[in-house]
Amino acid sequence: MIAGERLIRLVDAMKGARADESLDALLVYGNAWQGDYLRYATDFGILEGQGIAIVRQDGHITLYVDSPLEADRAALDCPGIEVVLAPDITGEVDAALNRMSNQKIGAAPQRLLPRRIAARAKDINLTDQTAFVDYFLMAKLPGEIDAIRKAAHLADEGYKVFMQAVRPGRADYELIAEAEAFFRANGVDDNFQIIGVGGGEVKGMAPPSGKRLKRGDMVTTELTPCVDGYYAQICRTLVVGEANAEQKAAHALWRESMEAGIATVRDGVTAADIAKAENDVFRKYGMGKYCTNEFTRVRGHGMGLFADSKPHILEDVTTKIETGMALIVHPNTYHPVVGYMVLGDGVAVEDDGCEVLTKTPRELFSVAV
Amino acid sequence: MRRGLMGRNEKELPVAAIEARLARLRGAMQAAGLDAFVVYTNNVRPSAVTWITGFTPYWSDALLLVGKSGAPAFATALSKRVSEWIRTTDPVSEIVNTPKPGSLIGERLKSDASVRRVGVLEYDTLPAGLANDLAAAAPTVEWLDGTALFAGLRREIDSAERDLLARADAIAVAALREAETGKASDAGTLAGLIEQHARLAGAEEAYIAVAPDLDADRRLNRTSQPTPLADRFAVRASVAYKGCWVRRTRTFAKDGSAAKADAWFASVVQSIGPKKPLAAQLAEKIKALSGATMDSWMAESCVGSYPLSVIASSRLSADATPLDGQFLVLTAEATIGGSPWIGTAPLIVSQKAL
Repeated sequence: MIAGERLIRLVDAMKGARADESLDALLVYGNAWQGDYLRYATDFGILEGQGIAIVRQDGHITLYVDSPLEADRAALDCPGIEVVLAPDITGEVDAALNRMSNQKIGAAPQRLLPRRIAARAKDINLTDQTAFVDYFLMAKLPGEIDAIRKAAHLADEGYKVFMQAVRPGRADYELIAEAEAFFRANGVDDNFQIIGVGGGEVKGMAPPSGKRLKRGDMVTTELTPCVDGYYAQICRTLVVGEANAEQKAAHALWRESMEAGIATVRDGVTAADIAKAENDVFRKYGMGKYCTNEFTRVRGHGMGLFADSKPHILEDVTTKIETGMALIVHPNTYHPVVGYMVLGDGVAVEDDGCEVLTKTPRELFSVAV
Repeated sequence: MRRGLMGRNEKELPVAAIEARLARLRGAMQAAGLDAFVVYTNNVRPSAVTWITGFTPYWSDALLLVGKSGAPAFATALSKRVSEWIRTTDPVSEIVNTPKPGSLIGERLKSDASVRRVGVLEYDTLPAGLANDLAAAAPTVEWLDGTALFAGLRREIDSAERDLLARADAIAVAALREAETGKASDAGTLAGLIEQHARLAGAEEAYIAVAPDLDADRRLNRTSQPTPLADRFAVRASVAYKGCWVRRTRTFAKDGSAAKADAWFASVVQSIGPKKPLAAQLAEKIKALSGATMDSWMAESCVGSYPLSVIASSRLSADATPLDGQFLVLTAEATIGGSPWIGTAPLIVSQKAL
């Protein structure tokens, strides 16, 4: 349903306000890492190999995939589009573009297109239209927000499963295994998740490395389940056993920062405004250096068809925040005493504020030993 | 993205094994007259860099530069804070964090006056942004496709890779037994149980696909939906352990009728040999399964950046001949007494087991 609405929106925009602004076709690239552009146009959630779709102004879509397993999956998931198994995907798409001479073709994301195709940009009138699609990825339709709302609910439920899996002696990857089983049985096809286990020595989160939990460890995670292609994120920190005073004090600062960021979210502000609100809290407590890229990457980001969508919430990002966007506000960073700590809630932007989508209490959880 | 166990273990993948692989690559570069070799990686195309260095990205992308000597340079847009983690899986590279990996590698190449000819794995499909940055930073370099050169190195697997593949396969085999327990009556729950089993056993990644009613449709798909499992269904587990991937597909029939085909297929994968086209070998072997016709087959291997890619199939390159010692993942689809059956298993040509 939502895929059809997205396609109508996309092809309407391709027609442009004026003839000289129109695109005859759009070339979209995707793989399982950066799959959002491809998913937006085709609704296909690619897993293996690479996919390139040609979206024509009349709504006809040809999807080229280089894996026979993915060709089967695409035919099942996307019955309305033409699926082509193309082991030599660059050669096949190249040949298709040869048949589209004298047409204006856009590409997104241009930087990930296979070199051989992008190198022909001048020959085939191919222009970079990444920003054109980026806008649609950020400013969502109501149905897209509904999907994110469902994913956020499952993020809350998944975090409960994750917490229940925690006990001393368990390995980090075992906690994720339990969450994944819950997700597969409950409509979640994919999940982005990284984890941190330990104390002051932990500078960030990464995939599980086999570290075993012990009393006093902080366990950080960002859990990002995907429903109908849409990812929603939650970030929480727990302590194995009772939290100590320093961990509690740090968490209070993180919470004040996140809540300051969320209080800033509304139609018309910029990504920088939200980041500044979060960082000002750190600066107020003399912790401003922990808002720099030496210790943290972003202070939040968009949520949607990519787990790390635009806009990035940083003080130098001036993207205007609009009603219909979905964001995670997370002042995740390193604390010099207790280590890397995370706290973040997903929100949907509204005219006068935002709807907080994740409902898990904003606590530093203690898991009884 | 990867979210299972990731980490190098010296016993499983010794530094000496990685260095031996690097030496083989450099030998092939010298024979081809290449001064350097560039390899792209992301979490969909990780396998070449994994083979050369041990590293698999969980997210994002990167470029690896292998020169004639010295440590390879691994240039990634991942932050410096992630370098510590990268080092736990890659013991040999110089890790360089940069927002522009292509520019950095290009500048390295430009700064060495002896570098003229550079091989690039899968040059045609290198992401355009990185390719442009490389070319802009090193405008006098001659870029050559190094795909065939690299595939030549991957025709044989070393003992470390073989052991990792065997571990991945053991995980897949055990995980698929979840379908025999009767704990799940729908596809989503079953996929969750199988994935959970694989991840608890240390899988780096597990893609579970199900054909919930094999009589109605043989195509397998990722699922998280409560689609009821019919009397005959199939499940595919694509499992990675420490960067090494296998697939297993099994057909489950409530009347037990898949067992005969399973036993036949187990003997087939132990008996694939070299020097004779796979199509001919399979056509001969299907005769041993009474009442069966072979509908299609496919052989995959790891020859480049993809974990597994098709190297021969009934639809493509049907006359391909396996090589002695080659790692393959073989899929066969058959109709037996009017009922569909699908099986997938890994094998090493001319050997009884992984």
